[in-house]
Amino acid sequence: MKKKLLVVALITVLATGMLFAQGTKEQAGSQGPLEITFWSLFTGGDGEFFDAMVKEFNASQDQIVMKNDMVKFDNYYTKLTTALAAKTAPDVVVIHQGNLLNYVPSGSLLPLDSYFDAATLNDFQAAPLDACKFDGKLYSIPFDVHPIVMYYNKDLMAAAGITKVPQSAQEIIDASLAVKKATGKWGTAIDNTTGVYKAYTLTRMFISMLAQQGGSLLTDDASAPNFNNAYGEKALVWMQDLVHKYQVNPTELDYDAAMNTFKLGDAAFYFNGVWATGTLEQQAGLNFGAAPLPPIMGGQAAWAGSHTLAIPVQKNQDPARVEAAVTFIKWMTSHGEMWAKAGHIPTRKSVAQKDAMKALPYRADYAAAAAFALPTPRTPAWEEIYGTLSDKLEYAVTKNQNPKAALADMDKTVRDIIASY
Amino acid sequence: MIPGNKDTRDGIVFSIPFLFVYLAFMIYPLLSGLYISFFKWDILSSANFIGFTNYKTLFTDEKFYTSLWHTFEFVLMTTPTLLVVGFLMALAVTGTSPYKGILENIFFFPYIFSMTVVSTLWAWLMQKDWGVFNQALMHINLQPVSWLTNENLAMWSVGLTTLWWTAGFNMVLFSAGIKQIPKEVYESAAIDGATYLQSVRHITIPLVRSTTVLCLILQIIASFNVFGQVYVMTGGGPHGTTRVLVQYIYETGFRYYKMGYSAAMSYILFLIILGVSVLQYALLGRKDQ
Repeated sequence: MKKKLLVVALITVLATGMLFAQGTKEQAGSQGPLEITFWSLFTGGDGEFFDAMVKEFNASQDQIVMKNDMVKFDNYYTKLTTALAAKTAPDVVVIHQGNLLNYVPSGSLLPLDSYFDAATLNDFQAAPLDACKFDGKLYSIPFDVHPIVMYYNKDLMAAAGITKVPQSAQEIIDASLAVKKATGKWGTAIDNTTGVYKAYTLTRMFISMLAQQGGSLLTDDASAPNFNNAYGEKALVWMQDLVHKYQVNPTELDYDAAMNTFKLGDAAFYFNGVWATGTLEQQAGLNFGAAPLPPIMGGQAAWAGSHTLAIPVQKNQDPARVEAAVTFIKWMTSHGEMWAKAGHIPTRKSVAQKDAMKALPYRADYAAAAAFALPTPRTPAWEEIYGTLSDKLEYAVTKNQNPKAALADMDKTVRDIIASY
Repeated sequence: MIPGNKDTRDGIVFSIPFLFVYLAFMIYPLLSGLYISFFKWDILSSANFIGFTNYKTLFTDEKFYTSLWHTFEFVLMTTPTLLVVGFLMALAVTGTSPYKGILENIFFFPYIFSMTVVSTLWAWLMQKDWGVFNQALMHINLQPVSWLTNENLAMWSVGLTTLWWTAGFNMVLFSAGIKQIPKEVYESAAIDGATYLQSVRHITIPLVRSTTVLCLILQIIASFNVFGQVYVMTGGGPHGTTRVLVQYIYETGFRYYKMGYSAAMSYILFLIILGVSVLQYALLGRKDQ
């Protein structure tokens, strides 16, 4: 008897927890506006603007209520992957274009072609939209493009007597030396050491400068490295020389430190993604400008990421929720001028025409960069290549490693990584 | 024994809730991890059985060796220091000092914080350009130190943080051990003219031996599993010189989606920890009898 009672009590305790968890989900389906869920990885600067947009979307109509959960960027993809595997992901998720390949082949994302009419799709810029297509099917909608750009401190340039924004490798070196001589401040701030983030900026610059010479990081089919050549050497040596030969870029500079160095007016030229704009313009007393990544190595090309919005496949896909998710995605992309406040470049042509968009400072100056944004190579090995190259470039740049030896080592490592997938 | 009471039956019944949780959250994942280590699996796609390939790859993976070495470095750095500092703290709080109550609180205080709080705090203190440590150094006209961005110092900085954070726990264990030593032993030693240092050397240290062994085993296991502090403070940098094995396991599993390979590495780490623990127990534990 007693034993039975105990077992019953135990089951009750365990089961009530599950019941309540179930209950909250059920409720949403009944009366009133449909509540759909969203996970975003936007923290810090981006987060505020994104939350404001969601709030405005909820206020703009009374059919759908979007609930946004913010997940720390570092853990976002871990959480998303496990949720997708369990088919318990939220109704809408944000995925970087470069990460789509991790989710498309397994059928975790809903093909979207039938949910968007031609007129809507035609309003998107072709390059970022095409980057979301796999085997002719559309799996997500580009929300923005965020290329690496160059920020410059106008006051430091004026103090050094520089009137034109430097463009070529030599011009940037000359301008940096002039700034250093006139003010004692740093010329460039390119982060080169792992802190909270790896030294991704080095890899982004490296990818951009390879393409500017007509080369590429990987071969076209992403099956082998393609940088162990004169292009790679020229790009690497330039980054090394800024630190060692000319000493115009601090060494042991991590991502946050680079941002702060520029924010505090201690460096003239700062290279980072457009997402830095929102933070930089809030800095009192910082008189800066923004420009597309200069043709340092001759041609125009810039590494870029792209946030895209996708709809996960669910165990029991509710058509009403999918429709609501589509409505949300359409609204968000057509109000790109609000998102541009965070610095990102919107993807819809109609948004670019809006007066509110044109009135935003800085964004117009680098909007052109979207045209020469580089797509992420399509290989499942990309994350590992990207992270590992950042470690290797960090070593090569901070230690002034022999460039030929560095490139040969990087080449071998990337080959090994690709072979392991 | 209480009449009518069946100890065995009740024992089993009372253990059921725990066993249930233990099976579901320890034994099952443990076995499932072993199972996964024989597959090539990216979580979302279906898994391919590849036998011992993951284990074979592991032995030629340079990054595995360097990460394992960084873990060993951390173990070698932190284990002795944490034991010695914990013991010294315990001596201080079991002695006759009037401040021992305050000291005990001060020493144990950091341990109540979570790993993330401690690591974030120290990462800011040790920040190269704006951190308090370097500001203080520059104030007294010394060169600032690259605590977390220099490859020779980064691991020591993480070790120092860990020392501040967890030494208090060892202090509690040691002071419990010290308090068990009968007063008479010290008294008779004092009558024989033993100095404080002599009684520590010849009475306290030998008599807390079982506590020392316990601390050592716990500490080595904890240090082998280091991940959080490194991940938050240095991110494995500079250029991967503080990347520890658990971090590499995490990255291969949840960044690069090589679940099988990641599980295989976890099992190697498990075997290493098991081996070290058994060895310690055999060498140190037996003499204790």
